[in-house]
Amino acid sequence: MKIKYLKQLPLILLLVMSSCQDLEEDPKADLTPGTYFQSQSDLDGAVASMYEKLARDGAWGFTSRMTSYFGSDDLTTDPGLNKADMRDFDRLSGSDGNASLRAQWEGPWKAIYQANNVLDNYEQVNSTEELKLQSAGQAYFMRGMCYYYLVRTFGELPIITTEIDVNDRPPRESISKVYDQIVSDLNMAIETLPPSFEGEPGKADQIAAKAMLSDVYLTMAGWPLNDEPKYALSAKLAKEVMDTGEFSLMGDYLSVFTTNNNSESIFALQYNVDAGLPQRSFGSSAVPLEEEALNGMTGWDDYYSEINFFLNAPDCKRTDDTFYTTFKLLQKPENTFDLVPWDSPRTRVQHPYYKKFRAGLGGDGVNETDTEIISMNPSTNKTLEIIRYPQVLLNYAEASTMSSGGPSSESYAAINQVRSRAGLDDLTTGLSREQFRDSVVYERAYEFAGEFGIRWFDIVRLQLLPQIISERAVENENALSPIAVSDPANYYLAPIPDNEMSRNPEWQQNPGY
Amino acid sequence: MKNKILGTRKRSGMMQSLSCTILLCILSISSNLFAQTASNTQQTIKGVVYDENSQPIPGATVIVKGTSKGTATDFDGNYELTITEPDAVLEFSYIGYKTMELPISGQTIIDATMELDVESLKEVVVVGYGTQLKRDVTGATSTVKAEEIVKRPIVQVEQALQGTASGVVVTQNSGQPGQGMSVRIRGANSITGNNEPLYVIDGNIGGNITGLNPNDIESMEILKDASATAIYGSRGANGVVLITTKMGNSGKMQVNFNTWLSKASIPKHLDLMNAYDFATVVNTTNVSTGGSPAFTEEDLTYFQEWGGTDWHKELEQKPLIQNYDLNISGGSPEMRYRVSYNHLDQPGLIVNQYFKKDIFRTNLDLKAGERIDLKINLSALQNKGRNNSYQGDLTDPFSQANIWDPTSPVRNPETGQYIKNSTYGSTGFNPVAQANGQLEDTSSRSINGTGVLVYRITDDLTFTTNNTYNMGSGYNQAFRGLDTDEGNTNGVRATVYSNKSWSFQNSNFLTYKKSIGVHDITLMGLYEQYKYENEWVRANSNNLSTPSLGYYNLGLGASQQTTSGYTSDALQSYMVRVNYAYKNKYLLTSSVRVDGSSHLTDKYSIFPSIALGWNISEENFLKDSEILTTLKLRASYGETGNQAVGAYSTIPRIQTGGPYFYDGVTPSVTTPLGPPVSSDLKWEITKQTDIGLDMAFFYGRLNLAVDVYNKNITDLLYNYQAPFYLGGDSYQRNLGALNNKGLDFSISGNPIDGDAFSWSTNFTMSFNRNKVKDLGGLDNIQVNNIGSAQSGTTYLKVGRPLGEFYGYKFLGTWKSSEAAEAAEYGMQPGDAKYEDVNGDNVYNTDDLMVIGNGSPDFSFGFINDLKYQNFTLSFMFQGTSGNEIYSQTMAYLWGGQGQAKTPTTQEALNMWTPENETNNPAFSNTGKNFINSSRYVYDASYIKLKNISLAYDLPKGLLDKFGLNNMQIYISGQNVFTITDYPGYDPEVNNAQNALTQGLEMGVIPNPRTYTVGFRLGF
Repeated sequence: MKIKYLKQLPLILLLVMSSCQDLEEDPKADLTPGTYFQSQSDLDGAVASMYEKLARDGAWGFTSRMTSYFGSDDLTTDPGLNKADMRDFDRLSGSDGNASLRAQWEGPWKAIYQANNVLDNYEQVNSTEELKLQSAGQAYFMRGMCYYYLVRTFGELPIITTEIDVNDRPPRESISKVYDQIVSDLNMAIETLPPSFEGEPGKADQIAAKAMLSDVYLTMAGWPLNDEPKYALSAKLAKEVMDTGEFSLMGDYLSVFTTNNNSESIFALQYNVDAGLPQRSFGSSAVPLEEEALNGMTGWDDYYSEINFFLNAPDCKRTDDTFYTTFKLLQKPENTFDLVPWDSPRTRVQHPYYKKFRAGLGGDGVNETDTEIISMNPSTNKTLEIIRYPQVLLNYAEASTMSSGGPSSESYAAINQVRSRAGLDDLTTGLSREQFRDSVVYERAYEFAGEFGIRWFDIVRLQLLPQIISERAVENENALSPIAVSDPANYYLAPIPDNEMSRNPEWQQNPGY
Repeated sequence: MKNKILGTRKRSGMMQSLSCTILLCILSISSNLFAQTASNTQQTIKGVVYDENSQPIPGATVIVKGTSKGTATDFDGNYELTITEPDAVLEFSYIGYKTMELPISGQTIIDATMELDVESLKEVVVVGYGTQLKRDVTGATSTVKAEEIVKRPIVQVEQALQGTASGVVVTQNSGQPGQGMSVRIRGANSITGNNEPLYVIDGNIGGNITGLNPNDIESMEILKDASATAIYGSRGANGVVLITTKMGNSGKMQVNFNTWLSKASIPKHLDLMNAYDFATVVNTTNVSTGGSPAFTEEDLTYFQEWGGTDWHKELEQKPLIQNYDLNISGGSPEMRYRVSYNHLDQPGLIVNQYFKKDIFRTNLDLKAGERIDLKINLSALQNKGRNNSYQGDLTDPFSQANIWDPTSPVRNPETGQYIKNSTYGSTGFNPVAQANGQLEDTSSRSINGTGVLVYRITDDLTFTTNNTYNMGSGYNQAFRGLDTDEGNTNGVRATVYSNKSWSFQNSNFLTYKKSIGVHDITLMGLYEQYKYENEWVRANSNNLSTPSLGYYNLGLGASQQTTSGYTSDALQSYMVRVNYAYKNKYLLTSSVRVDGSSHLTDKYSIFPSIALGWNISEENFLKDSEILTTLKLRASYGETGNQAVGAYSTIPRIQTGGPYFYDGVTPSVTTPLGPPVSSDLKWEITKQTDIGLDMAFFYGRLNLAVDVYNKNITDLLYNYQAPFYLGGDSYQRNLGALNNKGLDFSISGNPIDGDAFSWSTNFTMSFNRNKVKDLGGLDNIQVNNIGSAQSGTTYLKVGRPLGEFYGYKFLGTWKSSEAAEAAEYGMQPGDAKYEDVNGDNVYNTDDLMVIGNGSPDFSFGFINDLKYQNFTLSFMFQGTSGNEIYSQTMAYLWGGQGQAKTPTTQEALNMWTPENETNNPAFSNTGKNFINSSRYVYDASYIKLKNISLAYDLPKGLLDKFGLNNMQIYISGQNVFTITDYPGYDPEVNNAQNALTQGLEMGVIPNPRTYTVGFRLGF
């Protein structure tokens, strides 16, 4: 009996052991490098990722993308509430632990990571050379642009142009090396990109790359490289963009901010609320706290203009379109609005706000009349303009002047084109080289007031902090840090976020932080 | 034959008849199965079965030896059997008694007096892949028995472990129904990996305990040291809980019905301002930051009359929780069964929140042949939840209710519509609207079948195969209408998620057990395999053209997106184990397990263990002691793994992102490169040494167990956030080492054990200390924290314990006398003052320091049962000492952070003024209000009366009258009171998702105080 049972044992064991498990992994639902980058559409998915990563919340989708630019005079924020992150930089006392600052670091790097993925793999795809190069060109543009924002914000950076080992901790390279990389990338973009992508205005094209490189050269001519020969290169590229005739200024300044991909948009990030990709700097973000719409939504009160920046604005239609000076305060339960001037004691902080950022795309931010706010929304479909045509015109005006003895008639024509649309007379003729440059900088401040870092980067490259500090009102502005007032030199650069510093123990933090 | 037996039963009620019918049916089936032949000569035998005290034994088994024919005794010990062979032998058996045989020898009345089986009374414990006498166990284990489990109204199995076993720290992290238990056996092993123990249900490794009815549990065995857990290899590092489910007893059918009803409420509320106070504080802060008052005198007068909105009152509810449990059990010597059904209906503490559960289980135990036993356990689970997984964040309605503007009504009195936003208080969405408007409906179903075949090949050699097949499916539906934040700002949207999964486990082992003189040896060899597959699909639909169909028609969305996925796992293992005992005195257990896993590049890892035991009380000098009756010394070493590596972690992957729109309208697919991967990822390995001592005095009247342990964890798995130039996403890597040292202590006994009055007690205590030994060359790692504010409070630092908070040390306010010094910081009197560690007159990240620690010095549980006649009073205290909570909830009450604009706490009425220089900073535009500051760190030591219950058992006389076996009525209270200095809601709750976030709290719904009535009925 025992023997009989024992005989069955090997059978049982055989049955069991024969069903050995296969331990090899097969991620059926995941793309892997082995199964990807075979067709052009694979490559297209990688290219679109660069834009998407940059556009979203936590990157450039929200006002936090300009946290460290609040040191500028066109931006300030509430003295209390929950605005400490922006307020600290407004007071020139930001620090590396600032949570909002991270968007400025993280967004561009995420896009660079995706751009490197495109550039590492585009050649192996089975497609036409032309399409492959167009994909690569966009990656070059994206990488160059992102390094450009990073270097101006944080200074020295590691230069990473291909996939690196997960344990690599590259050192921060000098600012000039970073600019070399930016120039190289944007030149590659110019070489490989078509002049435009028909029907796809969101794609970076050759003109966008030229306009961007023109801006890069202008910055290189200023602080910290002070590479003055770059003025000529800047002017040359700006001229090439102007000569394409592809762009023209919108007749109505305000319509620039209520329409997408209009005639003066050279490069912009695209948004789509329905699909979970909202732009959140238009609408509620720009509305004062005390304003409430009939749909029950109230202002987020994130950013507005310093008082003297507003008071020093030229008297023109553009200024009227830019600033929001009559508040509409909802009276309950009647649901009527009291109209109150910005400096009335009935407003919370007695500052003018931005009008141009309220509406969003056709009123999907704030929908209002002169006397009532019908609805308000923090999420809009409005594009985030990175380069508008007036920037090319003003870059040309400044660079062409600075690269020669003084302004030419073409320099004047460029700035006057912007002034004319703004509702201003032509600029006084006969200005000196520096006078003309200062006029352009002044023009730029108001043409681009509150827009993504443009005013701040002028302050940086021209080292204007002492002037900005002295022109700032003492009353009713956030108090400046006494250390920064006595010597603002350290505050042109933002600190690298502390979490990234701790991952890179060899790095030195920027001085002053 | 059937009629005859039924007809002769005198006491048979309907249920008894029914049970006999079932029994007989089964008997006749099994008779056929085993091809027994029956002759026509019939004879009726009856008698009574008595115990050693001449008391009748109900439920004893009587069978005709060598056949499957048999019966069980009734309540009075009577049995009656019809036999066909006059020379048959009757076999009497009953648990805890020696089986006895009596020949019929022509008699018709045969009474039996059974003898106690002393050996079998020695406790048998489940050790995984077998059982062992408690005497022979060498590992550090604790047991929780069914009696302990049923004492409390338990809705989750983990609750049964709270306070009942030493070395086990159970916290209920959240008061949300169906959520929030965290179980730590001997501290946290893994930094960011899962620290929950491995549950093994009737041999099913990694079994789903949410699918288990607490009333179905016979016992829970907690394996703590590595010699006990190493047999589970790569899954054993966090400790193992072996759960055995109840089996029917052979005998007549028993029916038990248990139910309880609980009324729950949030036991504590924070002191928040009313509308008037709030408005005055808004006015004060407006003025102090250079603005103008927001509210007029008229407003203030109105607020004073009205009082304002109490957001918590609007949001909360006091739910009635209902639990029903019905089980039927019984059987014959050949076949035992237990069938149970459990229904739980648990509404949440805030509106529009619930959890419901139905569990059905059938356990069958068959004697399929002389040498073959079969066990079949089938269970089916269905659960449903609504909004019961708020993550604990600032955006949760419960958090928003703390910071929402009390001057705002819930609804617009004119239109009846919800007020969505308010100017002051919070930028968030109306919490009452959000809680009522959102739907997060989850449902899951699973069917689990375990089949065990035991084949005694010879008397010494047994083959066991244990197979579990599980099928699960989930269907989650979400909807955000216009009365929710997301629906209001981004359009009405709905999501449906569906998954199906299956898993299969096949364990096969041979056990050889032999006693040769003074040598007892057991050898075991195992082959085991496991496979899991999951497929899911998710459909998002945005901007629905109408909200009226909720989540039922996703086709109405203007934009739609579908994603899907697949995951699969496989594990293959081999194990050998040897148990050896010499003279029952010297014990040895050793095992080696080899685990092969699909997740790793190097597939196979080896997990060895060895343990020694010495039964000192068996030595001559103690053998006859009447006082110290058990004394055992144990020592063990073992290695276990933590399988916290997800599938495909070593394969670089391209992800599927949200679409991009080159023209703002037309979607383009995005396929971003995913995070980098570690190509040489390994298991996290825990090497644990344990020394333990078990003592029993006066034959178990007093028991003591002490264990000390030292655990070294190497190759710590960490979900490390890559630098942003590497994409900035987290990826799994091995990183450094961690050490845990600790002591578990338990004392239990029955100090008073009289006939009328008895007292049993159990006190457990656990100490654990840990330290980061190495971080792979890094000095520290900043950890991403809880909640949307990402306060960055936690760092991993070499040489420091886990769970420490870092931040600025709050020193109160700058006083008027310190104006000059404050100015050097750009500050003014009334601003917050912090420790300037490096003295550079700037508060920045260089000034961060340790401001608290979330892990307790020790935790304890104290359980008592006092019995007086038919009354039983049970109570349980549970608590921790020396741990702190960093409460973001408390931080936000002060406003100026995250979505909180202005203060809502009553303490804001006592803010700094030049006249009254308190330490509550005033609002100013020069001050810094760091959220990561010691200002919001509190001592969270506590003692809680976790449970108190008074039960009354109906006396036997009364029971007999109604034909009942037992009936108990009880009332009880849970979380009745808490002694603590913690000013927040509940010192027990926090956002601890892993070892690093322990003690961090953000808007978690506290544990309810509940009052319960229940009864148990058996017949």
